[in-house]
Amino acid sequence: MNKKQRMRAALTALALAGGLMATASAQAAGTLTVASPQDPGSWDPVDTFLVNWASVATNIYDGLTYRGPNTELVPGLATSWEELDNGTRIRFKLREGVQFHNGEPFNADAVKFTFDRLMGEEGKKGPQRSNYAAIDHVEVIDNYSVDFHLKASDPVLLIKLAGYGAMIVPPTYITEKGEDYFNAHPVGTGPFKLASYEPKIGIKLEAFADHWGGAPQLSNLNYRFISEPSTAVAELQSGRVDLVIPPTIPIGMIPTIEQDPNIDIVTTASPTVYALRFNTGNGITADERVRKAMIYGVDRQAIIDSILGGQAAPIASFQGELSFGHDPKMQPLPYDPNKAKQLLKEAGVAPGTKIQIDIRGNDATFNEVSQAVASYLQIIGLNATLKPYETNVMLNDIIPAGKTGELFQQNWGGWTLDYDNTAYFMYHTGEKWNPYDSDAELDLLLESQRAITDRAKREEILQSIAQYTANQALEMPLYNLNAIYGVSNRVHNFTPAPDSRLRLSDVTVD
Amino acid sequence: MSATTTKARFERYKNLEFILGALLTGGICLLVVFSDLLFPGGGEKIDLSARLLAPFASMDHPFGTDPLGRDVMARVIAGGKISLQVGLLSVAGAVVIGVSMGLISGYYRGFWDMVVMRFADVQLALPFILLAITFIAIVGGGLTNMIILLIISQWVQYARLVRGSVLALRDREFIQSARAIGVKDINILFRHLLPNLIGPVIVLMTLNVANNILLESSLTFLGLGVDPLTPSWGGILADGRTYLQNAWWVSVFPGLAILVTVLGLNLLGDWLRDSLDPTGRTSR
Repeated sequence: MNKKQRMRAALTALALAGGLMATASAQAAGTLTVASPQDPGSWDPVDTFLVNWASVATNIYDGLTYRGPNTELVPGLATSWEELDNGTRIRFKLREGVQFHNGEPFNADAVKFTFDRLMGEEGKKGPQRSNYAAIDHVEVIDNYSVDFHLKASDPVLLIKLAGYGAMIVPPTYITEKGEDYFNAHPVGTGPFKLASYEPKIGIKLEAFADHWGGAPQLSNLNYRFISEPSTAVAELQSGRVDLVIPPTIPIGMIPTIEQDPNIDIVTTASPTVYALRFNTGNGITADERVRKAMIYGVDRQAIIDSILGGQAAPIASFQGELSFGHDPKMQPLPYDPNKAKQLLKEAGVAPGTKIQIDIRGNDATFNEVSQAVASYLQIIGLNATLKPYETNVMLNDIIPAGKTGELFQQNWGGWTLDYDNTAYFMYHTGEKWNPYDSDAELDLLLESQRAITDRAKREEILQSIAQYTANQALEMPLYNLNAIYGVSNRVHNFTPAPDSRLRLSDVTVD
Repeated sequence: MSATTTKARFERYKNLEFILGALLTGGICLLVVFSDLLFPGGGEKIDLSARLLAPFASMDHPFGTDPLGRDVMARVIAGGKISLQVGLLSVAGAVVIGVSMGLISGYYRGFWDMVVMRFADVQLALPFILLAITFIAIVGGGLTNMIILLIISQWVQYARLVRGSVLALRDREFIQSARAIGVKDINILFRHLLPNLIGPVIVLMTLNVANNILLESSLTFLGLGVDPLTPSWGGILADGRTYLQNAWWVSVFPGLAILVTVLGLNLLGDWLRDSLDPTGRTSR
């Protein structure tokens, strides 16, 4: 660089900085920087099932319905809806005067385009389509009303319309620019629009002043993809990041953050539950008494209080308290090693019998939990070994093929917060996550609740399913882990979202 | 300063190198071998009420306790069993195979050289993780399999190193004269060539011992490793990573154990290289 060039570069930089300052002071809002553990790679709603897609994209897109941090379903792009024909047809009234970021108007055609795309060829390539399998087709009634024709009633559909694959996308933009361009240049109707996206590094959003809910408080919202927890926490401590979202911060780092006066830990109940499920098909765990003995023999509360630092709640069935179908009256089996030993004796299990616990190799916190479980089982006379698997091998081969040890790790966290989303996949005959069981009575219960639209009745059946599985001790329910956020003190008005689907339009920064 | 005193000093320093190396390596090995006597139970006992105690906070736990309340000292010493086995056996295996292959292909050249070296090229082109995952899928995990995998993936380094040196040495006068007076090939290979090229091999060996001790813990993530309940240096180190800021002792002590072992092996290796070097270059 010669002198002249350097001069010019300096002047340009100054001018740019001046320009930036001018815009920032004009809106008097500021920038929030978020550390997210993962780059989803594509911002297209039909392409993803990643939580960390949603923690960005909830700011870019809107759905017909909306569910915020309080988990209540409210109108989104649809202002009202009614269920017709026994729940097989839903009529939505659409919000008028809404615009996409590129200026395209939102109307019934955009809704039809979105769902034709999701249920058609483009949707077939991604993982979202099956969640919306109940939708047969969308019919345009007039410019601001649509009918959803369903193959069968789906009690969870309205919730599903609030997220992921059901985000409304701009028809003209996608048709003109093409699918590949849309993956990297998302356009929606949400409170923030895309400024720039650098794969694996970060995505920058800026306020969309014409949002139907009013302009957001922040002018800029930047996400940086930082997968290593200690790096993310160090950036938070040094002030280069204002918010670290789950699932990043390991329990072990919470004290580090709590000791720092400038940052805080904010937690909320999450849908994520952990269990050690039993191999109910073979070995000693085919005996219900042995399964119960193992549950009695592990002090789950002590594990929560110590290893998990209290950032979890005990569970009685494979769901958390946010889940529809959770029964607050159901209590987990207490810790009772004597009863455990007695049950094992009744079942004729010799002391020192070997059992194997299969776990995911890369989950540091659960690794500690499972070691504690193994030592508790040792106390009641079972000689447990741990077998770590690579996560994909475990999920795609070991569990579905029924090749597990006596116990195996399962985490589950459906964002729909509906027990059907868990129970059906875990217990119905022939499902991927149910390699060992076939119980006609349970199948019937699981199927019966799917056809019911009466919420109270459905909740009752879901609760009875939870009770049924607990009576049979189909798994050792461990805990419901909190969603853990690291937040800088300069951030205000931040409400942690249990499902990581963060909408940051009300947040302000100093 | 006369030449003799410099030499005497050097000899003394060489001896010091040997003594220190032997002390460090021997000490660690002894501790590990007798760990069952020193710490019956091997620090397996979990005590959730005594988590993350600082060193010397209680005299029962001079190195402190880990996140599950286990004694770090007992675990570090017991953990040496797995780590030293993996580190030493894998390197020994890779050296035996790699050095023989390298000697043969460098000395005889021709067809076998081509076969061995092309095979080595192909293997070097395969990323280690890919090799590891394929290996697990076919033969499964466990300690023995892990050592075999490390041997398979590392013999190539030694083979290429040795072959290169042999190519440089095989036409030198002392080899030619040995051949001329009818020394058998096997004697040329192991008596005349090997001592001349063992220096870099020893350096590579000491580096790989440390490397493999750490690899053992990362392979555990892939499901190839040992039961997480069985302690190993790499494993304890990895477990303590998230606690580094508020409980440094969980990862520092296994780290020190690796450091001491590798330092000891390095010193021993240097000494061995110098004592084996037939040209005496290093001692001048």
